[in-house]
This record gives sequence, C-alpha cells and structure tokens, in this order.
Amino acid sequence: MRSVGVVVILAVAIALSISMLIARDAVTAKINTVRSSTGNTITVSPAGFFGGQGGGTPLTTAQITGLLSIPNVTAVQAQLSERLTTSQTNLVTPITAGSLGSRFGGFGGRSGASGSTGTFSVPISVIGTNSPGNSLVGGANGGGTEKLTSGTTFSPTSSADVAIVGTDLATKNKLKVGSTFTAWKTTITVVGIYDAGSTFANADALMPLATVQKLAAATNQITGATVVVNNINNVAAASTAITKKLGSAADVTSTQATVQSQLAPLNSVKDISTYTLIGAVIGAAIILLLSMLMIVRERRREIGVLKALGATNRSVVSQFIAESTTFIVGVIISSPITSALVSASGGSSPGGFVRRGTGFGGGGSGFTPPAGAATGGGGFRFGGTRGLGNTLTQLHTSAGWSTLVFALLAAIVIAALGSTVASATITRIRPAEVLRSE
Amino acid sequence: MLNVENLNKTFKTDGGEVHAVRDVSFHAADGEVVAIIGASGSGKSTLLSLLGLLDAPDEGSIDMNGTQLAHLDAAGRTKYRSRQVGFVFQAFNLIPNLTAKENVKLALEFAEWPKDDRDARAEQMLSMVGLGADKASRRPNKLSGGEQQRVAIARAFSAQPQLILADEPTGSLDRATGQKIVELLRNAANTQKTTVLVVTHDEKIAKQADRRLEIEDGVLTEIA
Repeated sequence: MRSVGVVVILAVAIALSISMLIARDAVTAKINTVRSSTGNTITVSPAGFFGGQGGGTPLTTAQITGLLSIPNVTAVQAQLSERLTTSQTNLVTPITAGSLGSRFGGFGGRSGASGSTGTFSVPISVIGTNSPGNSLVGGANGGGTEKLTSGTTFSPTSSADVAIVGTDLATKNKLKVGSTFTAWKTTITVVGIYDAGSTFANADALMPLATVQKLAAATNQITGATVVVNNINNVAAASTAITKKLGSAADVTSTQATVQSQLAPLNSVKDISTYTLIGAVIGAAIILLLSMLMIVRERRREIGVLKALGATNRSVVSQFIAESTTFIVGVIISSPITSALVSASGGSSPGGFVRRGTGFGGGGSGFTPPAGAATGGGGFRFGGTRGLGNTLTQLHTSAGWSTLVFALLAAIVIAALGSTVASATITRIRPAEVLRSE
Repeated sequence: MLNVENLNKTFKTDGGEVHAVRDVSFHAADGEVVAIIGASGSGKSTLLSLLGLLDAPDEGSIDMNGTQLAHLDAAGRTKYRSRQVGFVFQAFNLIPNLTAKENVKLALEFAEWPKDDRDARAEQMLSMVGLGADKASRRPNKLSGGEQQRVAIARAFSAQPQLILADEPTGSLDRATGQKIVELLRNAANTQKTTVLVVTHDEKIAKQADRRLEIEDGVLTEIA
C-alpha cells in the first residue's frame, strides 16, 4: 500500500513535469513563431507623413537604398504612394464618398475634388512598389489579404507601364487582364487582378515603383519603406541606426514594442511553466530521495551482506541507482500522460488567453514584407499587427517522441539526484556492524 | 594456512573503551575445521569480523598462506574478501529477490569468476550441498531453513576461498538439520582444502571440529 502511494505521488509529480514541459515547449514555439514572422520589420516614412495623410518631404531612393548597409538589415522594400484625381485618370473609384468622405475629403491635402463644387470623389490610390510578389502571396493590405485572382505580377525592377488592380476597381471600370486605362496621360496595361478582401484595398492599383516615380514626376521619391531585419532581437539596434542615418527626415517605427506587448502573456505562461517544471522535477527528486532512503534503510542488512561477500560500494550504489531509474522510468512509461504524448502528434487549442492583435489598417500599402515578415507596408504603421493577431490566436501544443526522450532524460536526472543521499548512506553502511547486530 | 598473531581490537563506547579482542593468536591448517565457542559478548563476532576483513584490527597480524591481510586498505580488503573468504551466517542472509542459483552466482560475480563458467559452477555447488535444479530456481522464501543454509554454504564455497567463517551456522536450525549442515561444512572443507572457522555456543557441534578454541572477554584459549 505504501509503495502504491509512493508510485501515485511520484506519477503525479512526473505527470505535472511532463505537462509543464509540453506547455513550455508549445509556448516557446509560439513565441519563436511570432517573433520570426511578425516582429522583425521596421517602418520608415517621411517625417509627418502617415498613410497618405499629413505632410512632409518624400524620402529619396538613395536614402532608402542606403539602409541596406545597416547591420542585420536583410531587405528594404520601398514604395511611392500617389493618388489619381479624376483629371489624371479615366478610372472611376468604386468607393462612394459617403458622409466620411465628405467630412475628410478635403482635409490634409487629400483633395480629390471631382471638379464639381461641393462634391467629393475619393481618389484612386496607386502604389508604386519594388516588391509586388510579396504583396500577392498573402499579406495584410488595408486589413485584407491580397490574392492574385487572375493574371500575373510584375518584376520588382520593372519600369513598364503596367498595373495590378484591385477587384472592385476592375469591376467598376470593367477591367480585365490585358485591358488598359489612362493615368498621368499614359496608357497602363492591366497585368493582374487581386482580391484583398477589403473594399478600400480592392480599390487600389499596384504599379512598378520606377513607373510611378516616372509618371508622377516623382523621380527618386519614396513615401514609405519596410526594412526587414534578420532577427527580432536586432530590431531595436537597427531601428536606432536607421533613425541616426535618416535623422529628422523620417519617422521610424517598428512592431517590436507591439509584439513584445502581445507576447507578454505568453512569456508569463512560459515563465510559470518553467518554474512549475523545475518545482515538479525537484518535488519528484525529493519523493524519490525519501523513497530511496526508506528502501536503503529497509535493505540495510542486504547491503551489508553484499559488501561482506565482496561487493564494492560502487557496485551496490550502481544497483540502487539502476533500480530507482527503472522505477521512475517505469512510472513515466506507464503514465497516462505519456501514452497521450506518444499518440499525439500535435493538437491545437484556441489561444483564448491571448488577446488578439489589434487590426488597424487604414489602407493598403500594396505590398508586404517578404516571407517571414507580415506587417503592412511603409506608411501604414499598424497594418502588420493584423497578421500578428492571426498568429497569436492559435496556440499549438506539439509533443511526441522528443518530449518523451527529454522526459526520460529528466527521469534519469531525477533518479540520480534522488539516489544521491541514498548512495551516501549506502557507502556508510559497514557490514561488520550490520552482521554484528544479528 | 591461517596464522593470527597478537590480534587486538578496541571499541570506544559511551561507557568507555571495550577491549573486544585481546592478544589473540592461533593458527589453522588448510582443510581444518576449528570451532570457536564463547558466550554472548565474549568477542567471537568481533574476532570473526577481523578474520573476515570486515574490520581492521588495532594491532596484530593475519597471515593467510603468506599474505599479510591485517593492514590492507578498504579496497584491498574487499577484493580479498570476495575471492578468499566465504561467509555462512546464522540467519542465512541470502538475497531475497534472487533464486538459490543466482545467490551462488552473485558470489562468483564478486570474485570475478569467469562469466561462462558461473552457471555450471553454481549448479555444481548446489548439487554438492544436495540441492537439485528444482530447488536452484527457487527464491529463499520458498526454501526451508536447512535448504537456505545449504544455499549459503554453496555460496560460501563457490569461489574456492581459502577461509570459511561460519557464525552460528546451525543456530536457526533443528538439531538434525544442524548436524547435516555441520557434515556439509566438514566435507566441503576436506574436499576443497579450505580452513573453516565455526563460531558456536553448541558444545555438540563444537566437538565435531578438529580443534576447539574458547573466547572469553576477548581472550582466546585452546581447549584440549
């Protein structure tokens, strides 16, 4: 009965250890995933400029290209946001001005007067980008995820008069792949159509950066850039370096702070599971230690006899450690949690305790960072948090043979720790005293 | 040949020093059975511990066929004990979770007996003490007291030691069984030319030995 009690208590301690190990692994994996996918970008925009609003002076291509020389910067995606008024294009916006358009239409340089006094027509956003591919394989754009529904994308270095237009813009203007429209008195050919799942983003047009710079008479001008850093841990340093390099000409922001804030609950869970894991392992070791001491005391005579027969301290201690290891490994293997572990290749649970990321995103930048980064493009500081929110809403537990192997190794450590005092007791047993007490 | 000269052992207790063994000297030839008799607390168990290298004497020498044993270090004593000394205890002291054969093999393992020969040697020794294969596979709790002591004797003699120390080997057995055990010890001593020291307080058992020694207050004297 006593042995059963010891086994049950030890099994509970070990089950708790394994559970904490799984939880810790899952949270650590999630943190790493979030960090690697959402937190390694820095947004650069002209000082005072925000998502097509505000003022300021455009950055230059040279300034943006120079950011590539900063340590740990792996890519710089530049864009030039322009707006086509009705006098500059034959396109008609699919967005109705509504009361919001009337209220904000003439504010902040967002003039898009149709020409009729007192009326306002939402201008058509054209985003010149040097990374169109990334914007069309899934990424945040004005709260939507862009997907190329027909046609192709254009080359990042293209200067051709081509465009990829949003679905709503295409529908409103009866555009198909191969159709043309006019912008800045130039005929632009539609090479692709995308769906971003957002009314605002679907009213945009993406064009090669060089083309927009040329047509809009904005040579070498850049209105935003997304700088991709190789690791989230280097974001702060890179951000500082960019600020130093560009000075007061640019507003430099990163998603790091947002990510860290989003990850705070996960880090807490990780810490708690780590401490609980350590506590459970120590608890198991103490239980085993006391059990071993009890066993050694009960088998004192046997130990004395073994020594009298010529057994060395080492061989007797080894035998007891082997017994305790077998005991604890047996408990682990027979544990229901272990069985579940082995059979589960991975499950998922909604991350209910993780607050979903905020999803600001006033409008699409037209492109997103490359694989591994999912923020909105330059000029849209908060667009990226939507992707972060999506990442955080699912927490996958992943456990299998590797965790079991780790648990077995932990068991051996527990057995070794638990056997230490017992071993010391064994070495102190003198066969002469044991046999004399017969 | 066992030669013991001026062996002394003192213990410190709360009540002061206890001189458990005083200037003990004696010898025993190969194959000889020597009985040591004495009352409880006379020092016979301490003497057995010293001779079995379970304890180190304060003074004196123990010479076994030319090898000085008294002042070996702990590792040396363990090694010598595993190969040259066999123990037979009153309470048998078999390892409870091992079978009779495994108990015998354990002693062979400690003596570093060739691995391939241990099985056969254990069976041979069990057969020598009258235990067949059916008993060899049983654990101690499935054997009678006499059978357990036979296993203990088989274990003690298995590694062909030079010295057997038997501490009240018949103390837990009925007279008839005890007599058989004594005969077994005698036969084994003769067959293997092993010196056997039997500690007993049973005069009838002691009289069957080749020689008798009496210990009283740590002092050993030979009984004519």
